Amino acid sequence: MSRRRRRINMPRQGVPVTTARDVAQDPSRGRRFNIKTEVVVVGSGAAGSVVAHELARAGHEVLVLEAGRYYPSSQFTEHLGDTINEVYKDQASQLNSTADVLFVEGACIGGSTVIGACVMHRPPNSLLEGWSERHGLDQMTPEKLAPLYDEIGEEQFVHLNEAHEINATAHKVIQGCEHMGFRWRPVTRNVRRCALTGHCLAGCKPDRKMSALVTHLPWAVGYGAELYADTHVTRVRIENNRATGVDAVVRDPDTGDTVAEMRVDAQVVVSAGGAIQTPLLLQRSQAPDFSGELGRNLALQPFTQVLAEFPEELYGFRGALVGVQVDEFLESDGFLFYSALAEPEQLMAQGDQGVGADHINFMLRYKHLAGLNAFSIDDGRGSVSWDGGVNDGRQIIRWNPSRKEFNRIKQSASLAARIFFSAGAKRVYMPTYQRLEVDSVFDLDKTMDEVDYGLRGMYTFRSNSFSPQGTCRMGSERSRAVVNPNGELFDVAGLFVADASLFPEPMAAAPHWTVQVLAKHVARRIEARRSSLFI
Amino acid sequence: MSSSESPARTEAVRQAAPLSRLTRRRFLRYGLIGSAALAAAAAGSFAILRRSPVDAIPVAEGIRNLGAGEYHLFRRAIEVLLPTAGTALTPVEEVPVLANIDHMMGLLPAHVRQELGTGLALFDNAAVVSGFHGRRFVDLDDQAAVDYFDAWSRGHSIQRALNTVIKQFVYTAYWREPETWPPVEFDGPVSDDWGLDYLGNAPLPREDQA
Ligand SMILES: Cc1cc2nc3c(=O)[nH]c(=O)nc-3n(C[C@H](O)[C@H](O)[C@H](O)COP(=O)(O)OP(=O)(O)OC[C@H]3O[C@@H](n4cnc5c(N)ncnc54)[C@H](O)[C@@H]3O)c2cc1C
Repeated sequence: MSRRRRRINMPRQGVPVTTARDVAQDPSRGRRFNIKTEVVVVGSGAAGSVVAHELARAGHEVLVLEAGRYYPSSQFTEHLGDTINEVYKDQASQLNSTADVLFVEGACIGGSTVIGACVMHRPPNSLLEGWSERHGLDQMTPEKLAPLYDEIGEEQFVHLNEAHEINATAHKVIQGCEHMGFRWRPVTRNVRRCALTGHCLAGCKPDRKMSALVTHLPWAVGYGAELYADTHVTRVRIENNRATGVDAVVRDPDTGDTVAEMRVDAQVVVSAGGAIQTPLLLQRSQAPDFSGELGRNLALQPFTQVLAEFPEELYGFRGALVGVQVDEFLESDGFLFYSALAEPEQLMAQGDQGVGADHINFMLRYKHLAGLNAFSIDDGRGSVSWDGGVNDGRQIIRWNPSRKEFNRIKQSASLAARIFFSAGAKRVYMPTYQRLEVDSVFDLDKTMDEVDYGLRGMYTFRSNSFSPQGTCRMGSERSRAVVNPNGELFDVAGLFVADASLFPEPMAAAPHWTVQVLAKHVARRIEARRSSLFI
Repeated sequence: MSSSESPARTEAVRQAAPLSRLTRRRFLRYGLIGSAALAAAAAGSFAILRRSPVDAIPVAEGIRNLGAGEYHLFRRAIEVLLPTAGTALTPVEEVPVLANIDHMMGLLPAHVRQELGTGLALFDNAAVVSGFHGRRFVDLDDQAAVDYFDAWSRGHSIQRALNTVIKQFVYTAYWREPETWPPVEFDGPVSDDWGLDYLGNAPLPREDQA
């Protein structure tokens, strides 16, 4: 018998969310309150929203707890600084332990999907075949996952960029690739009638981007799921090797003051806090870690932005943010390139932008610039760990490039520079901590030799990570993986992971689509085991 | 006698000596700014390396998170990094750069904030001993200050880190303000100007509608 829930009215705009302010103004709850539900989902981003929709649709009582605030699109200002203050994790200052790699994540209802660049990349079959063969993941073959990719593709309105979605920056990349004979193609994106505002990273005000804010979350609410914002889950409660719920604190998002403490009793706990926060939550909860892999295998997918100056005015910051990708080197070297030019404030995080008059001249040539984001695969050697007590500890992200990874970053940045020189760039700005400009392709190698690996590759390239992954890897062997092929922790019944932490090995492609596919897979496995998981 | 041979310089060099003894191992063990903090602690205090006339200038009202030394450092860094006078850029005096930096500082986690404070003191005071005429950064003339930034951008890891942090605070604090955009023709918000319609929530997937 189908338990599918009857749909209630799905909101046409926005999502009903209980916020810290609502909790504070409701005297019936007091400073401590309990909630009982069947499923509690930690995090409302790419993975959490899909799980919430799937399980609510299947008839379960679903509660989603999100640490970040509710920032509906009606409040978006198309101003990156405002958005960073409101919804970027730690106001976009989340760094590794040596403070030279920036980890950018969304922390709001909708998670990173709200500020994502809309690229939806379906990885090559070879990637999924490798995952499935090397990690005993029979369900992860390209054939078995294909229907899930198709479903997410349809739900997310994924389409190939049309001609009007290819801006001047992208055209320069195409030109360069054509001269070099490199394979390029328009990117596929999750946008409905893109309005070409170029403000993807500040949230899509006219609701064209298919973020979780306008897709899986309102759909989940339509089936009765409940959402709390400003609610940080501190611990999963585990009794006799079974998850029994979570503890959380509701905090005023402006002051950080605790408004209330919440205890949730649930039959199933799904952690979807992202690849940095999920392992930290499990470590704080003292979840058993037989393999010793919890929080390890962190891959970053580091990327740098290479800027090029052209004689003509391009206004390369206008139009769709990401137009084309260069995937010539994806399978051979693990490099992927996306055309995109950052807005002025973000540009400052991409390289050394000069001093004084030099900086001013650089910015006055902003409309002559084009940008190419050079992603290179890393080896998944990083880690995240929680240091200290549940309430007073802090996170530590460890990642510095090995010599091999450093060389890959260097090579990908050099390739991006070559593409621009082939398109007629008169100067290329390298994404390094030291100021490096190159005025001719013949000087490129010599200039790049100035970037020396030095001490653990620190403070060499201005690497960013938008796509951390792999910290609770999935696999069939308890001695090598954190979660089993269903996404459930090996030694804790009813505790699932559904987010980017699941990736068994680093991937070179943009991960959003795959994260949502794995989340759907985990939700379907939970539903398939309904009789043993739910009373 | 050149200032580089003065007794003050000799004393400054002596006090800052522990910095040069930073070993690779210690650096790795204590983290980046942490090792600068160790050097600072060992040297006594950077604040006493050389007094500056700017120390007597009061901190502007409304500054909540920057210490006096940091305030003067950023005030000087803004002048050096953004000499907008006579250029097409929005005059730096018309943009709340210092207030924005102060605000950003207030958002940093406590341990990062503490380490950064030490790093900033290091940046200011190291100019006394590193061939810049025995003066703190806040007292360098414009060209020397530009050269100082350039030298640090090519220096060792700690120097590259601090060079970057200071520039990024200043430039971000400037470029995040909408009044700085017209001269570089960045459009800023467009949806309302273009009269875009808001699509609201996406329709339920086909499977749900069945
Ligand atoms: C600026 C930016 C641009 C990107 N662009 C692209 C792109 O174009 N294409 C692409 O494929 N990928 C892109 N990505 C990456 C992609 O968004 C992520 O891979 C994906 O969102 C990961 O999904 P997730 O569910 O693991 O985490 P997220 O979507 O980040 O969601 C995690 C959520 O959990 C919440 N949370 C964490 N811990 C707790 C806790 N303890 N209690 C309660 N809540 C918690 C967080 O606040 C957050 O909202 C981008 C990422 C960023 C930051």
